[in-house]
Amino acid sequence: MLRKSHFNIRKFIYDTFDKDAAKVVFEREGIWDCTTCSACLKKCPKGVDTTGIVMGLRSLMVEDGRIPPPIRDALKSIAIHKNPWKISAEERSKWAEGLGVKNISEGADILYYVGCTPAYDARLQKVARAIVEILNRAGVDFGILGNEEGCCGSEIRRMGDVWTFEYLAEENIEIFKKYNVKKIVTTSPHCYNTFKNEYKGANFEVQHYTELVASLIEEGRLSFTHQIDKTVTYHDPCFLGKQNGIFDPPRKVLTSIPGIKLVEMDRARERSLCCEGGGGRMWVESEDSEDRLAKIRVGEAMDVGAQILATSCPFCLLTLEDVVKTGDLEESIKVMDIAELVKEAL
Amino acid sequence: MSEEFEPNIVGFACNWCSYAGADLAGTSRMKYPPNIRIIRVMCSGRVSPSFVLKAFQMGADGVLITGCHPGDCHYIAGNLKCEKTMETTRKLIDVLGIGEERLRLEWVSASEGSKFADVVTDFTNHIRGLGPILGKSQG
Amino acid sequence: METAEIRIGVYICHCGINIASTVDVDRVRDSISQLPNVIVSRDFKYMCSDPGQELVRRDIKEKGLNRIVVASCSPRMHEPTFRMTIQQAGLNPYCLEMANIREQCSWVHEDREYATAKAVKLVSAAVAKVSLLEPLEEKEVEVRPEALVIGGGIAGIQASLDIADAGFKVYLVEREPSIGGHMAQLDKTFPTLDCSACILTPRMVEVERHPNIELLSYSEVIDVSGYIGNFHVKVRKKPRYIAMDKCTGCGMCAEACRMKGKIISEFDVGMGKRSVPYIPFPYAVPSKYTIDPENCLFITKGKCGKSPACKDACSSDAIDFEQKEEIVELDVGTIVVATGFDLFDAREKPEYGYGLYDNVLSGLEFERLVSSSGPTQGKIVIDDKEPRDVVFVQCVGSRDKSVGNEYCSRVCCMYTAKQAHLIHEKLPDAKLTVFYIDIRAFGKGYEEFYDRVREEGVRYIRGNVSEIIKKGDRLLVMAEDTLLGEPVDIEADLVVLATGIVPRKDVKEVGNLLKISRSPDGFFLESHPKMRPVDTATDGIYLAGCAQGPKDIPDTVAQAKGAASSAMTKMARGKVKVEVTTASVDTFVCRGCGRCVEVCEYGAPNLEEVEPGIFVSQINDSICKGCGACSVVCPSGAISMKHFKNEQILSQIAAVI
Repeated sequence: MLRKSHFNIRKFIYDTFDKDAAKVVFEREGIWDCTTCSACLKKCPKGVDTTGIVMGLRSLMVEDGRIPPPIRDALKSIAIHKNPWKISAEERSKWAEGLGVKNISEGADILYYVGCTPAYDARLQKVARAIVEILNRAGVDFGILGNEEGCCGSEIRRMGDVWTFEYLAEENIEIFKKYNVKKIVTTSPHCYNTFKNEYKGANFEVQHYTELVASLIEEGRLSFTHQIDKTVTYHDPCFLGKQNGIFDPPRKVLTSIPGIKLVEMDRARERSLCCEGGGGRMWVESEDSEDRLAKIRVGEAMDVGAQILATSCPFCLLTLEDVVKTGDLEESIKVMDIAELVKEAL
Repeated sequence: MSEEFEPNIVGFACNWCSYAGADLAGTSRMKYPPNIRIIRVMCSGRVSPSFVLKAFQMGADGVLITGCHPGDCHYIAGNLKCEKTMETTRKLIDVLGIGEERLRLEWVSASEGSKFADVVTDFTNHIRGLGPILGKSQG
Repeated sequence: METAEIRIGVYICHCGINIASTVDVDRVRDSISQLPNVIVSRDFKYMCSDPGQELVRRDIKEKGLNRIVVASCSPRMHEPTFRMTIQQAGLNPYCLEMANIREQCSWVHEDREYATAKAVKLVSAAVAKVSLLEPLEEKEVEVRPEALVIGGGIAGIQASLDIADAGFKVYLVEREPSIGGHMAQLDKTFPTLDCSACILTPRMVEVERHPNIELLSYSEVIDVSGYIGNFHVKVRKKPRYIAMDKCTGCGMCAEACRMKGKIISEFDVGMGKRSVPYIPFPYAVPSKYTIDPENCLFITKGKCGKSPACKDACSSDAIDFEQKEEIVELDVGTIVVATGFDLFDAREKPEYGYGLYDNVLSGLEFERLVSSSGPTQGKIVIDDKEPRDVVFVQCVGSRDKSVGNEYCSRVCCMYTAKQAHLIHEKLPDAKLTVFYIDIRAFGKGYEEFYDRVREEGVRYIRGNVSEIIKKGDRLLVMAEDTLLGEPVDIEADLVVLATGIVPRKDVKEVGNLLKISRSPDGFFLESHPKMRPVDTATDGIYLAGCAQGPKDIPDTVAQAKGAASSAMTKMARGKVKVEVTTASVDTFVCRGCGRCVEVCEYGAPNLEEVEPGIFVSQINDSICKGCGACSVVCPSGAISMKHFKNEQILSQIAAVI
């Protein structure tokens, strides 16, 4: 983050050699600037767990109550409503009304874990509905947790509240056990990542929805009837791509859709540029004067002639689309989730 | 001699690293308790469980095996074989009521004279603290 | 077995006052004299002195002693001395046991009572063991005066020439059509800037002409059996589809080839093209063509026009599509492993854009670009344009845990400095920047060369490059200057990655073939990192060059000479002593379970079928190193370790407590 922020992870590490880590982090600015995208972690030749250190330093801030108000509100909301968006848990499954989605308590092969943002955010609800329609069309036996679904804790962990994360993880594992869940499919790469890599003692398989859809297409369970004659580029979300190595299934889905011409941006796959939506950044106001990475990213997509910038992460969708809206670019480029494109082509 | 319990300790040291380390402790005139008596073997991997059992049977209160550090073994991996053998041997002597902590395996290189002295001192104090093996004195 | 009465002599040394000041020598002597079979128990001021040794020799003769215990310093010090002493008196040297009452008693204890009591126990244990010791016969095996050298890079070339010059026959096996290895691909060598080909070519020609060297090029070792002195080796000679004795190296076949200019040249690492019949480089040895079977239309499709163009063009009728592979069997006394290295594949570091951008080159690709024998005749051009801004990135694939290579490749700092210098020489106006983590200029003249390059205006920035992206038709290199803590962006037309040295892809298979092990970095493991840097744990097999770990040319040549010298020492004597204290099998007790075969690192035990369905382990004395691991795992107690038999050690244990 050195390029945009004063935050320099090396400086933090060196300074904490002989000084109290809490003091160092309290006196410095920039600890909230890291998006935990893990680009530095993946490249570090000495294998330093930079992202882990950021989360650790943030936990010192949280422990001491030194947190920016929007983050404090998000944390509080999770404690009360089990989502960071300050909306009642009773309204969690409103998006699914009228879709006839089965509750997992009725028993199903797959739990579709929707996630907080797709459940509450009006824009993302479209993505959740699209996924339901795709799964129904392919005849997948799935169910949702309804209002019983709670936050996965990925973002809260990255904001430094490790205690609440552990509590959420335990509670979720209990719920999954209660309904004998063997396989979970997520909308968000963030939920996917935390279930897969951070839930200790979990005993279930996790898939990102793009993986499932790619295999449904391959098995011939999904077929397309509509053409989408568009040039599309794909933005690899950090938590799906560079952190979990899932590069090909989303592309496979896109290239299976008739008419779509997939073009790659220079920074693709492991080289993808972070949209700045991770690590709790959705709840922090950006104060830097530099261009937002999402803006650079939309520019890169337009440079390769894309009419549609596709992605597969709720945060990426929101940050990228925000740039398009605020920059008056709606005529030139559209930001869409892969699920929406698939649904359109069915 | 004092009234304090003075344990008998049998040491097995491999020729290439730890026996040389013990010699170095000597040439450097380091001091350690005299309770240990070292038997030289070519490799720690030569130490058979029967040697350990024999030592306890004859009245040893502790057995210390020293070998080369992993990766330094003169015979490629004899030290790791010893580690594996001693894992089960430790369980066996525990079952026999001797207590697994009376058998210790340590890596000491030819250059670690001071480590050898420290290991012996520590192990001797440890065994002294444990006291005689129960039932032995009555037997 | 002899049943003669055991007659032991025990000699306790004062070592001046080294032992006597802490240990009551008189008391030890008297206690020991009470032990069974002890005929003589004496003390003496210095046992290792001539009179001390003479005392032992006289007693042996006069008192008929047949076992000797010397209680003095460490056996690591004087065991060889006293073995010789008793041998001079007609005893078998293995009828000796020493008690270490100096290093492991008098020097480490202060209390005279305790030290004396301990000394008595240590000497008693030695007496107990010596009573059970058996005479052992020393053994020697013949060493054949032929050596095998695997790999024809500079390491293999140097080792072959040294061994051959000493008068021994050398079989040099090279996998590629020509010897020369990586060194042949380099332009200039650091820090002296000699042209690589100029110093290598004469040596290659020497190999070809040497009466003692048989070069097996385009060949691979496929099997090695036996042991020091008598290795049996199988080599596969791949078909060249060109008769070596007829080919004149004229190159008409390559000119005529229908695939001419369409096949990527391995030698030019993708920077140039070649035909199907090819000679890797102009000064190749042997200077004969080879038909690349993977790309040949006639071989792959069975059809090449009306008839193969190369065949029509060859005026000496050398093209022979009927050629088959051949297995050659060799018997050699020693083996030198000089199999070299592979270059790190920079695609594993996607942030650098290698493989994506044509103007991001590996270090070796740049060598071919800048070489006057290369595809551009040494003109530094990218897309027909001379670069104005060139960035070098150090430590690509080295010192990098993210790709699993923790080690330093030891050549990249210097080759980067050299490459920067070469660009500066040819394009004085080009702006040159090197990104580095640390600069390692440790060799003779290296630091001086690095200083010279900096003075030439090359900018060194400390920091690892974070990413390289496209900016128009140029590249944007982004990094942090970690000395200043500031981000740096540099636009470049050419990026050269200092790609490191990694073990050969098939290093594991080759290791298994030769039964030599590897260190954690993946390279072959030397016997001792300092004292035996060219030996392997297998006697008779020696290491040279990058097969053992990254090295520059001077170090490679030095190690190759060392490996050659080790091999020659064994062959010059013609015989080698093998370990006497080896394991042996009581074939009557052995039930053929094979645990010994599993546990042995050297392949000494072998199950042999003595009767149909009945297996018995046989241990090859010449291979066994005497570690004793097999005797520990043997469930039936059939294996005993000479000189460290179970009963011998058990008697020591009983006596020491």
